[in-house]
Amino acid sequence: MPDQGQMSADRLPHTLPLVSPPYPPPPWPLPGARLLKATYETDKDAVLRWLPPSLGRPVPPYAHIIVGHFPETPIGPFSLAVQALGCRARFLVRAYSLQAVTDSPTALMALREVWGFPCLLGRIAVTEGDGEAEARIEVGGTVVCVVALRGGAPIDAELVRFDPYLNLRLTPSVQEGQRPPYLTLAQIDPHYEVKRALRGKVEVGFPRANEGAPWHAVPFLAPVVAVWAEADTELPYARFVMPY
Amino acid sequence: MKFGVFFELSVPKPWHERSEHQVYFNALEQVELADQLGFDQAWAVEHHFLEEYSHCSAPEVFLAAAAMRTQRIRLGHGVMMVLPPFNHPVRCAERAAALDIISNGRLEFGTGRSATWTELGGFNCDPDLTKDMWDEALRAIPKMWTQEVFSWQGKFFSVPPRCILPKPLQKPHPPLWVAVTSPETAIQAAERGIGCLGVSVGTPQEYEERVKAYRRIVRECEPVGEFVNDQVNGVTFLYVDETEEEARLWGSKLVYTFGLLAAHFTGVSAIYPSPAYKVPGLLFALRREQEQRASPTAAGSGEGNIIREGMAIGTPETVIRNLKMWEEIGVDRMVFLLNAGEVIPQEKVLRSLRLFAEHVLPKFDPEAAAARSGDGKGKAPR
Repeated sequence: MPDQGQMSADRLPHTLPLVSPPYPPPPWPLPGARLLKATYETDKDAVLRWLPPSLGRPVPPYAHIIVGHFPETPIGPFSLAVQALGCRARFLVRAYSLQAVTDSPTALMALREVWGFPCLLGRIAVTEGDGEAEARIEVGGTVVCVVALRGGAPIDAELVRFDPYLNLRLTPSVQEGQRPPYLTLAQIDPHYEVKRALRGKVEVGFPRANEGAPWHAVPFLAPVVAVWAEADTELPYARFVMPY
Repeated sequence: MKFGVFFELSVPKPWHERSEHQVYFNALEQVELADQLGFDQAWAVEHHFLEEYSHCSAPEVFLAAAAMRTQRIRLGHGVMMVLPPFNHPVRCAERAAALDIISNGRLEFGTGRSATWTELGGFNCDPDLTKDMWDEALRAIPKMWTQEVFSWQGKFFSVPPRCILPKPLQKPHPPLWVAVTSPETAIQAAERGIGCLGVSVGTPQEYEERVKAYRRIVRECEPVGEFVNDQVNGVTFLYVDETEEEARLWGSKLVYTFGLLAAHFTGVSAIYPSPAYKVPGLLFALRREQEQRASPTAAGSGEGNIIREGMAIGTPETVIRNLKMWEEIGVDRMVFLLNAGEVIPQEKVLRSLRLFAEHVLPKFDPEAAAARSGDGKGKAPR
């Protein structure tokens, strides 16, 4: 029998183009995360406009804004805000990451390159206390989104659910001028060990339209719920890849 | 064991002016045939806003039409939403009594509280409160049927002294049921002395513990009605054909289409953390199975390998073998979903019903098989 190569997949460099990226490879443990998830019903046409052809829109169409502050990570503290569309991959409930903001340049690179979060660099300010939480998401000096939990009350941590993210991966064609690039969706499904949680009324606002970060393009039509949670979580390897 | 048929009235896109009309009248033709063939029950859901999956928001109308076309088959609300934000409990009692009268006392009264945010959000109904709302309405409705003058002062609704009319034909009242999607609800059904109407598509194994717990507890129940209904219904898909290959081909289409449509509405537990909805419930067994597999191909696996243990899909011999599993765990009746999104042509659905009645039914319910009014090819007597 011919000799076979011996480089097992788990020893592969995680990003081949970069010899030495300025961040460690996944998984990243993220203990002590503080998460604010705002869920709201949105416009059917807006959802269909943004969803890839392999994903279906739920009834009713809804979106999440998930704001996380991670105080202990391999690259130091950072925050991440994601606007994700509720969707279905055939039978499965998923969240398609439409846009994201982080406040750390190193996290920005890793989140884009490793996990496919469509991140921009910005500012994320979170205030918490007395059963309330509010997050202001800013890009290029413009506050593009404000989300809040109001009148929060404790809820059983086991009831809190975060759907797996589906993140776009774009692989350019190796042949110049070939379009479109090869598109896939990577499933990022962190484990969450929720320590405590609050549930309350949700508020979502888009104070200023920013065409470079159009969070307002997924409008707020009706409230669903806001959840705040303290959890140990992670950023794991992408588990699956599916067609765009 | 007895058998029934179960209707969601799913209407596939693209919709045209006659889409819903076609689905409704196909279903009525199926009920009519099922009645002639010796099936015992026909159930219709009440769902709202569930695009494509179910356009059966006024089941009392569908069941009334079915009553006019049939003679023997019992007609069931599977289920009526008895929560005040959906239907005032007095209206529930009135409509059900009227249906019992015009069906000559053939009504089975299933109750439920919805498991979807799509519906609860649409009626501005707090998910946390639905279990208590259901319980209050369930306890009041039998009294509306049996008391000459009814009054109620409850947490979720109140009624000054009034005659609730008409009264049902069945005395003291029609059998009561609840939609059961979790072991917890099966126990609550047993405690209240009402029938366990399985509405989650599961395997006999998944049902077994639920049935045992129900049987154990119902013996000691405090019935909310005037009598105990201690029956257990299971639900699964039916498609019978002459060859295994053909049956699995069409059966897979049925199961896959049903699961796909069900996946696109929004279960409460998927979006709104509530202690009243701890499990995914409703019709999500297929989704759960896909989640468990959760392989790279899970999202793209299409219709393959989706037929599960206990489904009434196959040749008559296969279907007999699968239904014996349900009989062995103590299910009294099996109720069948016949189509989803009209993916099976109507003539095939009707042929499947005939094959079932000819070859399968006599093995379980010889009395019903003997009472068949012909081969179902003629028109039902009016």
